[in-house]
Amino acid sequence: MIVATRLIRDRLRGLLWWSVGMIGLVLLTVAFYPAVKDQGQALNDLLNTLPDAFKSAIGYDARIPLTSPPGYLNARLFAILAPVLALIFAIGVGAQAIGGLEEADRMEPLLANPITRKRLAVERYAATVALLVGLIAVLAAASVVLSAPFGALEGVSIAGLVGACAAVGCLAMFHGSIAFAVGAATGRRGPAIGAATVVAVAGYLIQSLQPLTDLLDPFRFVNPWHWYLQRNMLVDGVPPEAVLGPLGVSAVLLAVGVAIFRRRDLR
Amino acid sequence: MAAIRTENLTKNFRQIRAVQGLDLTVDTGEVFGYLGPNGAGKTTTIRLLLDFLRPTAGTATVLGGAPADPAVRRRIGFLPADLSVDPRYTTRDLLDFYGALRGGHDPAWVDALLQRFDLDPNRRFGELSTGNRRKLGLIQAFAHRPELLLLDEPTSGLDPLLQAEFARLIREMTSFGATIFLSSHVLPEVEELAGRVGILRQGELIKVATVEDLRAEARARLELRLAEPALEGVFDGVPGVVEARTEGSTIHLVVEGSMDPVIKRAATLPVVRLITHEADLEEVFLSYYAGDGNAR
Repeated sequence: MIVATRLIRDRLRGLLWWSVGMIGLVLLTVAFYPAVKDQGQALNDLLNTLPDAFKSAIGYDARIPLTSPPGYLNARLFAILAPVLALIFAIGVGAQAIGGLEEADRMEPLLANPITRKRLAVERYAATVALLVGLIAVLAAASVVLSAPFGALEGVSIAGLVGACAAVGCLAMFHGSIAFAVGAATGRRGPAIGAATVVAVAGYLIQSLQPLTDLLDPFRFVNPWHWYLQRNMLVDGVPPEAVLGPLGVSAVLLAVGVAIFRRRDLR
Repeated sequence: MAAIRTENLTKNFRQIRAVQGLDLTVDTGEVFGYLGPNGAGKTTTIRLLLDFLRPTAGTATVLGGAPADPAVRRRIGFLPADLSVDPRYTTRDLLDFYGALRGGHDPAWVDALLQRFDLDPNRRFGELSTGNRRKLGLIQAFAHRPELLLLDEPTSGLDPLLQAEFARLIREMTSFGATIFLSSHVLPEVEELAGRVGILRQGELIKVATVEDLRAEARARLELRLAEPALEGVFDGVPGVVEARTEGSTIHLVVEGSMDPVIKRAATLPVVRLITHEADLEEVFLSYYAGDGNAR
């Protein structure tokens, strides 16, 4: 795992900064919880007047008041911000794994060494996943540790919270794997980031339009955002497809990306 | 056994025929100069020999195996024309990383290389000058004492002192039996080192010859200063005389091939001084570039 450990070391400083950002996000979110809780019913009434699309976009669930800890954490942290942050990280690292390395002309000196392309690609993918796991571990630890002092952990199971963080990681891995595979196929970073971003935005739009139209229903069941956002995981637990779906698709993307990378010319 | 053998090696990039039907054999232990103008296909050939590119047709065998085989690449040292690595890596980081991938470098040998090329291993790649990056490229290529060195434009960017050090290193490696394949777009860079050279033009290998043979092909320039005004046409019909020009008591000659008939004829003249100019290898070489080399 020489290639993988080298990549992890190269990215450790970056991961540190991303971790600081993630901790900051969690801290800011939970620190405002006491103020939101005090607003109580007034805020819930206001939210009930909002359009359905907006409510779904912020992870609103009629059974779970937004002023309750699971409602608040889900809406403020897990519905958009934490997954978007994790996605940006994963897409960036995934696009760099092969596409970015090759575009910067750093692939050939590395491949002149006695390693196969397959080994290089698999190790750099493994490192990408390991870095993402690191960031998700920080998210989980920060959520658990920082929520309690602000009373934002009442009614939230630790398992549910950690599970939700894992689901964030899986969603990010799905998109990071797209960036990896497109980078492996093209040897370029731009298309890798572009493809993964388009898929992410399209998936999110389809999911948020779901309450307004059933035209997009056929896409729902293959939409990772649907797997991820379909219910409040802090109360109802993680749906299996939110984990298994991204893992399965990522495995396929890895296999396809590596297969193309092994066969093509370097740029 | 040949260190490099290609048969009909061909690489097309869409419409561009980068390398065409290359039949090349480089023997174990020789220094082979691979020459051609920019864009002739030198780098493409090297990339084919390292499995960075897959041939459109033909085959390449390196050290008896396939370029894709890591066991083969373990025995190859590669200097890219323009080494690019993560700018945050220090020289030490890069050498340790590559050493781990290659199953370990000999630390004494690596330290000796660093000293010979006077490179501080603790500076980051991003801070290195072009010349220092060149040195790092050479050191990483030699660090595992490879049996075959594929060097793409190795001496460009090196000052004369370092070029001399490079030449010493090449001789040292060949004395251990290593094979050196070095590309260049100018002959003088490889002339002192290479035993044989191949000349590539527009993807085709148009000439493979020893440096001596090229020298023999070179036209010598000769100046005869006579004690009396020279007569026109005194060298007419002498074999090998390409050009004879008379200017007062001086005769300017351009001679191709053997000098013997010229000297015999000159012996009949009252020669005061004989001035010879170094055989102009570069001119031969350029004639191949320009395309009239086929006529010879």
